[in-house]
Amino acid sequence: MLEIKPIINAMLRSKVGAILLLIQIAITTAIVSNAAFIISDRLTYLKQDTGYHEQALFTFNVMTFGRDVNIDQQIELDEAMLRQIPGVIDASLMQTIPLSGSGSASGFGEKPEPEEGKRVRASYMFGDEHALNTLGVKLSEGRNFSDDEIVVHGSDGKQTAPSVVIASKAFTDEMFPEGNGLGKTIYMEDKPVQIIGIVERMAGAWLRDSKPFNVLIIPLVKTDTIQDFVVRTAPGQRAQVMAQIEDKMQALYDKRVVREIEGFDLLKSKYNAKDTLMLRMLVVLIVVLVLVTALGVFGLTLFNISKRTKQIGTRRALGARKSAIIRYFLVENALISVSGLVIGSVAAYLLGQQLMKVFSLPALPLSFIVFTALSVLAMSLLSVLAPAKRAADISPSIATRSI
Amino acid sequence: MFTHYLDLSWRSFKRTPVVSFLMVLAIAIGVGVTMTSLSVYHMMSMDPIPEKSNQLFHPQLQTVDEGVKLWTKDGMPRQMTYQDAVNLMNAPIPERKTASVKTGFSVHLDASTVKPFSSAARLVNRQFFEIFNLEFINGATWSENDDLNASPVIVIDDYLNNKLFGGGNNVGKSINLDDGQYQIVGIIKTWDIHIKFYDLNNGAFQKPEHIYMPFSLVAARELDNWGNTNGWKFEPSNTFQDKLNSERFWVQFWAELPDEQAKQRYGEYLMAYMQEQQKLGRFNRDELVYKLNNVEDWMEFFSVVSKDNKVLVALSFMFLAVCLANILGLLLAKFLRRAPEVGVRRALGASKRQVFYQHVVEVSLLGFLGGTLGIVISQLGLWGVRATHSVYTNLATMDATMLFASPVIAIVSCIIAGLYPAWIVCRTTPAIYLKSQ
Repeated sequence: MLEIKPIINAMLRSKVGAILLLIQIAITTAIVSNAAFIISDRLTYLKQDTGYHEQALFTFNVMTFGRDVNIDQQIELDEAMLRQIPGVIDASLMQTIPLSGSGSASGFGEKPEPEEGKRVRASYMFGDEHALNTLGVKLSEGRNFSDDEIVVHGSDGKQTAPSVVIASKAFTDEMFPEGNGLGKTIYMEDKPVQIIGIVERMAGAWLRDSKPFNVLIIPLVKTDTIQDFVVRTAPGQRAQVMAQIEDKMQALYDKRVVREIEGFDLLKSKYNAKDTLMLRMLVVLIVVLVLVTALGVFGLTLFNISKRTKQIGTRRALGARKSAIIRYFLVENALISVSGLVIGSVAAYLLGQQLMKVFSLPALPLSFIVFTALSVLAMSLLSVLAPAKRAADISPSIATRSI
Repeated sequence: MFTHYLDLSWRSFKRTPVVSFLMVLAIAIGVGVTMTSLSVYHMMSMDPIPEKSNQLFHPQLQTVDEGVKLWTKDGMPRQMTYQDAVNLMNAPIPERKTASVKTGFSVHLDASTVKPFSSAARLVNRQFFEIFNLEFINGATWSENDDLNASPVIVIDDYLNNKLFGGGNNVGKSINLDDGQYQIVGIIKTWDIHIKFYDLNNGAFQKPEHIYMPFSLVAARELDNWGNTNGWKFEPSNTFQDKLNSERFWVQFWAELPDEQAKQRYGEYLMAYMQEQQKLGRFNRDELVYKLNNVEDWMEFFSVVSKDNKVLVALSFMFLAVCLANILGLLLAKFLRRAPEVGVRRALGASKRQVFYQHVVEVSLLGFLGGTLGIVISQLGLWGVRATHSVYTNLATMDATMLFASPVIAIVSCIIAGLYPAWIVCRTTPAIYLKSQ
């Protein structure tokens, strides 16, 4: 019915064309399935919920060089001014800006240093009772810091240790796998702190960290000549608030530099620039690769038809229908493509193994190979269709004419 | 004969314009994609200081206690402790060496229209400029006494000089950095490197600092470290002095070792130094380990060329292979179609070799055209890379090597693809075609 035997015989007479097509389809399958997998991996990473409404948050940095003000007081004034700008929901001085790629991390343990004991790594930031509201993260358990729990390391040089801490759920789940981390005591170096609140989800400074969602907020305000502020605005208000920050800050006190006024979304995209680039390049690679392969199938079929014009004419003269001619080329192509896809799937698997060694990726899932193989097959058959239709239009008289 | 073949190739191109154009397009896309990823790779892996990269070394000392595991690739610290850096800077050998730390200030002038701004600065000793071949436009590096006394002197680069003063020789003038006044003693040409190889701790593609000042100011003025600080054991740190005495890593160090002999001597010196320190109670280890990394080793250690780039280059070359298989098929088709004509030429006395040569010239022409168009495509690709993020502004460009490589890769791959079709066609037996005419 499908005339497979004569098709194979014909193919064996001109092997090179078939082999070339097979190679193209095999390599295409191998590359596309792996590239698609890397793309999906990066997309999941880039699209993950950080816990923040990034479009409503921004940060800026202040470097004070003037020595004629008391920085502790100045910060209070700055915060009060920021919170009054129309469109601002809350603002807070903060050390370690989430998603920025720079900050502090440490191991927090069940025993004070230098005793041995379980330690869990977490990115930590310093903030006051406004920190939670400014970042816009929700407590799932416990309570916020009260005013008197905030420790100020100010210009007087006194350094008391904070006694409480707010932790992310990811951290408490790892620190206390049996659950119920609220109220427990952990140690920062040799100092005990009690967990008084648990945040459902918030990312720390490094999204690429092995534990990106292990975060602690420590109720500490360090007044220094270099300060970072975080501001949250009402939706759609951020751009206009950001535009006036520098002037408003300078108007309050001008012996300082206000710099790096950047939205959280921008911080994140800067940190992830490498992943975005990889994503884009792979998408382009897949698209052109499929186009080039389609072009190859198309060209090769055209060539085969022109070589076999006489035979096609003869078949038509002997009574073959147009549909039989089209079927012939479709079956021929399908045979080559399927062999190419089988080889390509094995190659995809092997390439996936190599990539696993380079990246910390899981094994290439079979679904990616199967889906790619089916798509490549469809693409290949589609590229054959137009030339095959042309072949079907060859007049039977061709066969007689040129003899 | 060559021009004649070129002429024949051009005629052949015009005779089947669609197929020929498709072939040129296929090779152009293949080369374009490959050159895009290869250019980025090339810029990232390029030697940033070719005249000296084998003489500049960043030593690593294994200071952590026996049994402590660091998170780095080789388990050794990426930077040095302050005390080791100072001790090595005061060592008798080698002749040129410098510790180095990044810091930063707000920059402002007493009376000026220039708005105060912030700038990163680098703390080094006076030999830094000589070590990294930095060229002075005005003035010179500070004196040995300045290094010893922590004098408030600075060397700035031309960029900052223009920003502050609009250019000119401003040696001798003073500027304010935070609450201190510093005198300019030299102005260097702006350091034009796109890989910050001398300090890779905060990203490899950062710009060099615009201000340089004596390393001794770190302790004298308690300057902040704007780079990374890493510790591995619990150390109370309440005062700045605690930080200076600690086992934390936050200082970089470079030594210039002109030859293998100097390198060996320095290695022996480092070993002796560690043994001496061991007597003082540091380096609690069974085995003392040091490493001397030249610039290339250092870039490798910090994975300046990321895995992504390596994978992209590999995938691009596989893509190029697909394009070649494609072209091979099309060439085969094109050449075989012409078999009757070749049969006649053979019958008229053309040798196999001449026919072969003619077809190789033809594929080279296709390669050349494809390669040229490929440059255009890769420029488009590089523009796309630059648009992704400003980090890539200086990296996603083509230098002369890559520009030249494009047509070469295109022609070579076209010839490889064309060999088989050319060989097939030159074996044409004249008799068959003469018969059928």
